Amino acid sequence: MSYKLTRIDPDAPQNSQYPVGERRVVDDPMDDQVHRNVFMGKLENIMHNVVNWGRKNSLWPYNFGLSCCYVEMTTAFTAPHDIARFGSEVLRASPRQADVMVISGTCFVKMAPIIQQLYDQMLEPKWVISMGSCANSGGMYDIYSVVQGVDKFLPIDVYIPGCPPRPEAFLQGLQLLQDSIQQERRPLTWVVGDQGVYKAEMPSQREKRRDERIAVTELRSPDEV
Amino acid sequence: MTTEISQADATTFAIVDELKARFGEANLVVQPTLTGMPVVWVAREQLIEVMRFVQQVNKPFVMLYDLHGVDERLRMHRRGLPPADFTVFYQLMSLERNSELMIKVALHEDDLRVPTLCNVYLNANWYEREVFDMFGIDFAGHPHLSRMLMPPTWHGHPLRKDYPARATEFDPYTLTMEGQDREQEALRFDPEDWGMKRQSGDTDYMFLNLGPNHPSVHGVFRIALQLDGEEVVDCVPDIGYHHRGAEKMAERQSWHSYIPYTDRIDYTGGVMNNLPYILAVEKLAGISVTSRAETIRVMMAEMFRINSHLLFLGTFLQDLGAMSPVFYTFSDRQRAYHVIEAITGFRMHPAWFRIGGVAHDLPRGWDRLVREFLDWMPPRLDEYERAMMDNSIVRERTVGIATHTTAEALTWGVTGPNLRATGLKYDLRKAKPYSGYERFDFDIPVGTNGDVFDRGMMRIEEMRQSLRIIEQCLKNMPEGDYKADHPLTTPPPRDKMLQHIETLITHFLQVSWGPVLKANESFQMIEATKGLNSYYLTSDGNTMSYRTRIRTPSFAHLQHIPAVINGGFVPDLIAHLGSIDFVMADVDR
Ligand code: SF4
Repeated sequence: MSYKLTRIDPDAPQNSQYPVGERRVVDDPMDDQVHRNVFMGKLENIMHNVVNWGRKNSLWPYNFGLSCCYVEMTTAFTAPHDIARFGSEVLRASPRQADVMVISGTCFVKMAPIIQQLYDQMLEPKWVISMGSCANSGGMYDIYSVVQGVDKFLPIDVYIPGCPPRPEAFLQGLQLLQDSIQQERRPLTWVVGDQGVYKAEMPSQREKRRDERIAVTELRSPDEV
Repeated sequence: MTTEISQADATTFAIVDELKARFGEANLVVQPTLTGMPVVWVAREQLIEVMRFVQQVNKPFVMLYDLHGVDERLRMHRRGLPPADFTVFYQLMSLERNSELMIKVALHEDDLRVPTLCNVYLNANWYEREVFDMFGIDFAGHPHLSRMLMPPTWHGHPLRKDYPARATEFDPYTLTMEGQDREQEALRFDPEDWGMKRQSGDTDYMFLNLGPNHPSVHGVFRIALQLDGEEVVDCVPDIGYHHRGAEKMAERQSWHSYIPYTDRIDYTGGVMNNLPYILAVEKLAGISVTSRAETIRVMMAEMFRINSHLLFLGTFLQDLGAMSPVFYTFSDRQRAYHVIEAITGFRMHPAWFRIGGVAHDLPRGWDRLVREFLDWMPPRLDEYERAMMDNSIVRERTVGIATHTTAEALTWGVTGPNLRATGLKYDLRKAKPYSGYERFDFDIPVGTNGDVFDRGMMRIEEMRQSLRIIEQCLKNMPEGDYKADHPLTTPPPRDKMLQHIETLITHFLQVSWGPVLKANESFQMIEATKGLNSYYLTSDGNTMSYRTRIRTPSFAHLQHIPAVINGGFVPDLIAHLGSIDFVMADVDR
C-alpha cells in the first residue's frame, strides 16, 4: 500500500500557499523497519495498531457547520442515527479539543480564512471530512463568492458526495475515515524517529463499488410508497 | 367574484391617486406590471418627500418591506419607463390597506446617488448597505455605508451586469499565510468605526466577538458586543459569511433550472421555498394550476413548516441549555422525512414543484403515510408543551426576555411568527391567500408579550394548525391532473410529448432551452416558515430572469437584534438568537 507523507515545516515563508508543508507519495515506512530489524519492526507495528485503534474509535468532532449539509450532519448526531455507536458523540465546541473537523456546507470566500484559522487551532492528530458537493467542489454554486472546493486550501481525508448527503452517508464517511486511520503511521514519540505523518492512500469507493452499481438493473418505481 | 377582485384592486391602487393629487400627475410614472401592486417611478429629488407622505397618509404604509436595485443597462423591453442605467426600488406595506406599493427611482451611471431613507424608515439601513455592496450605489447621508455581504477587501459590485458570475471565470482560489492574516485583519472589529466608546466614566467596556463560528449562532453569523460586565451596551451584527449569490445565479439559470436554488434559500423550508418563485413565474406565464396541484403544494409546504419548526424547537431549547429536546424533535423530523421522501423522493431539498404543477403525482399509499404522521404528532406536541414550555427553568430564561412591541416589529420589518408573537393577527395565508389557502380552515395563533417565550410557543401552536391543514388536504384531496395543461408548463406532460414530431420538438426545446416568458415583472409573497418571503421577478422576454430579487424574512430579523437586545444580558442574547429562528442562507442568500 502506498502512503502520503506530510511533513510540517515550522519555518515556511509567509507567502506559502495553504496547505503548507511537504507532501509526497511514498511506500509503507514500516516495510523498511521490518527489513532492518524484524523484532523491533513487528513491535512497532503492534504499537501503531493499538494507538490507531484507540484514535479511530474516539474521534471527537468539532461542532462546526456552514450551511444546509450541517443540518444532515446534526441529524446523524441525534437518536435515530446515533453516532455514539461509532464513538464520535463527544461534540466539541472548541477546535482545540476536537479531532475531526467536518466541512459541512458551502465554503465562502469570506469564510475561508476563518476556516483555515479554525483548522490551525486544532491539535494533531487531526482530520478533515468534506461533506457535500459544495465542500467537495463548489457543487451547484459556481459563483463569485464560493470557493470551488475546500481542498483548495485544506488537506481532506474523506469526501462525502451528495447535496446534502444523507445522515447514513455521513456515518459511512466517518467509518471510511476510521479505516484510513487504522492504517496510519504517525510518530509514536516526539523524541526519536521520523516525525512525518504517513496516511494510507485509500481506494476510491466509486471504483470499488462500480460492479455492484452496474449489477443493479431494477430500480424501485416512484409510483408506490 | 369579479367585483370582489376589482374592489380589492381599487383599494390597492387608491394610493396612486393620492400620490397624484399630492405630487402632480406629471411627476409620476405608473408602470403596469403583473406584480399586483402599484409601481410608481418618482424623481430622486422627491423621493424622501414621497416616502414621508406614504408613511403618514391615511391608512399608512407602516413597513419598509424591501429595498434593492436593478442594473437596467442591458434591459431591452423598457418602453414607457423613465430612462435609467440603474434603478433603486422601495417596497412598502400597509396592513390597513392590505396592500403593497413599489416606488422606483431612476439613476444615471455617472451619478449613482440617492438620499438615504434611514431617517424615514429605520430598517433601510442594511438594505442600503447591501445595494451599495452589490451595485455600488451611494446613499447620501447613510450613517455607515460599507460592504455588507462581500468581504471588506472585495473589489467590484457583483450584481452589476458587467460583473462575471462564475467563480471559474476568475483565477482559482488560493490562500497564502499572508493572505489569511490580511483577511483576518480586515475583519477585525473596530469600535470607533461604529461610534462606540472604549470607556465611559469608570467602566472600561469589553468588546466580545461572537461568531462567525459559535454553537449558538446557527451557522456563520457574527455579532460584536460592547459589554459592561454581563450587560450588552451595544452590538453590531455582521453578516455575509453565507452569501451564495443566489440572485446573480438566477440571471444565468433558465426559469425551470433555477428551482433547486430556491430550495437552498431557507434550507430548512424545502419545497416551501419553491412556492413563491413558482407562483411568480406562473403569473408571468399566465398559467393557472389545477386544484389538485394546489392542494398537493399546500400539503407539502405545511409538512416542511412542521419540519422546520421542529428543528427550531430542538435547537432553541438546546440554546437554553436543555440537551434532550433535540433528540425528541429530530426523531419526529425523521418521521416527517419518511413522508416527504416517499412523496418527493428527497429529504431536504426536493425541488419538487414545477412551473405549472408538481414533479409527479402522489404515489399510491401516500394517504396511509400522512395519516400515520398526523396520528403521531399531536401527543408529541402536547408533551413538548408540558415538558418544556411549562418547565420553570425555560420560563425563567424566556418570559419577559427580549420583548418588542408590534409597532417596533413593523418598523424593523419583522414578519411571520415573530410578528404574531407580539399580538398582531397577521398571517398572509389569511390576509392574501395564495395557492388555495382560502379553502382551508385554520386559526392564526398569536402571542401577547412578544418575548422569547411567546416566540417559542407560537411555533408549537403553528405546528398544530399545520397538522389541521394537512388533515384537510388528506380528506379532500381533489382528483385531476397534477400539472396544468398550458404550453409553458415545464416539463410538459410526458404523454403529450409522444404524439408526433411537433410535440417532441416543443418538449425538447422546453426542457433544453427552457420556457421563454414574456417581458414583464411579477411578484409573489408567501408566509414562509420564518416570515414573509417573496420573489420579485423581472423578465426581459428571455429564457432566464433579468433580475430576481429574493426578499427573506431572516435578514430583517437580524437587523432588529440590536434594538431588542441592547440593555439586556449576554444569556438573553443567546435566548433571543435561538428564538428568532433564522438560518444564514435565508439572510445572505
Ligand atoms: S452540498 Fe447542497 S446541501 Fe450541502 S451545503 Fe451545498 S447546497 Fe447545501
